Amino acid sequence: MISNDEYNYIILANDIDRVFLGKYAEYPIIDNIKFNDLKAKLEFNTSKRIVFNNAFYGYREEEKKEILELLKKQNIKFVLITSDIEEALYGDYIIVYDGKDIILEGVKEVVLKEEKTLKHIGYGLPFAVDLSTQLTYYDIFSKVYFNLDELVDDLWN
Amino acid sequence: MELNNLNGNIVGVIIDDYPSDDFKDSLVRDIIVKKVPESLKMVKLDESFLDKKFSDLSIRNKEKVILASKLHDKEIVLVNFSQGLIKSDFNYFKTLFKKIASYNRKIILIDKNTDLFLNCVDRIYVINNDEIKYETVDIFDKILKLYVDLPKIVEFSLKCESDGIRLDHYTELDELLKAIYRIKS
Repeated sequence: MISNDEYNYIILANDIDRVFLGKYAEYPIIDNIKFNDLKAKLEFNTSKRIVFNNAFYGYREEEKKEILELLKKQNIKFVLITSDIEEALYGDYIIVYDGKDIILEGVKEVVLKEEKTLKHIGYGLPFAVDLSTQLTYYDIFSKVYFNLDELVDDLWN
Repeated sequence: MELNNLNGNIVGVIIDDYPSDDFKDSLVRDIIVKKVPESLKMVKLDESFLDKKFSDLSIRNKEKVILASKLHDKEIVLVNFSQGLIKSDFNYFKTLFKKIASYNRKIILIDKNTDLFLNCVDRIYVINNDEIKYETVDIFDKILKLYVDLPKIVEFSLKCESDGIRLDHYTELDELLKAIYRIKS
């Protein structure tokens, strides 16, 4: 499942229990940890890949970005298991589960085009992706945005 | 801090380190004890969950079980209820909260995800060291951003505003799209 060493993976899942996490038992799994504790833990990490189980819940966006920067700096790849569609933007490759079944998978740019499926399952789309996708239907945009700042800049300039 | 003294029928609270419910290895049937079938149905679980251990459930289902166990209380306090929920759950539970509150009951949502507050709570409190640091009725209140990340649709409006584009404070994407279209065309 985790086949490309260069990718950061996002696992979108709505039923993350112990059995589900067992699929990733070969990697260190980090869940529910305070921001500063996570930073400290990463400083001493020796694994090439870490699994975060809903670990970013409650972090502010700048804290999430700081963690992602730290991972990049240390050349650590990650698997982020989350139910929050906004966090799908942090990865390269997305695997979408509905219960125990994989419904979609592929690189981020492809999976996030599956508007109907993602909305039907209940995950929806990240706000920037949703808004820019809708604006393509209005012929205001011709591409989908993954970054809200870029979207706002391009919308009004 | 007595949370039940906070004003509002559905109250959003931002507070660090508030203890959450943990029923560890208890069976769900020992956690949900009032009007069991009705409570399960209201949180979209079926009776097969009754014989499961709380600790074996997904985060999302743990939160649903906690809610089901409190559904018939006069005052419902939920801590980080949004954890593990997917977008469609938010809409469903907000509707449920409003329905419960309409029966003169109070719901206190202690949560780190302000998406749960959008179109739902009457008032938002920021509490630190047992003191109210800030309170507002408006999720578009810029000062709130000092304490917590705001929903993306709110962030979008505030970014536009700082770029000199005045948009009404839309909380639904459809309405926002129409407004953008009107400005752009």
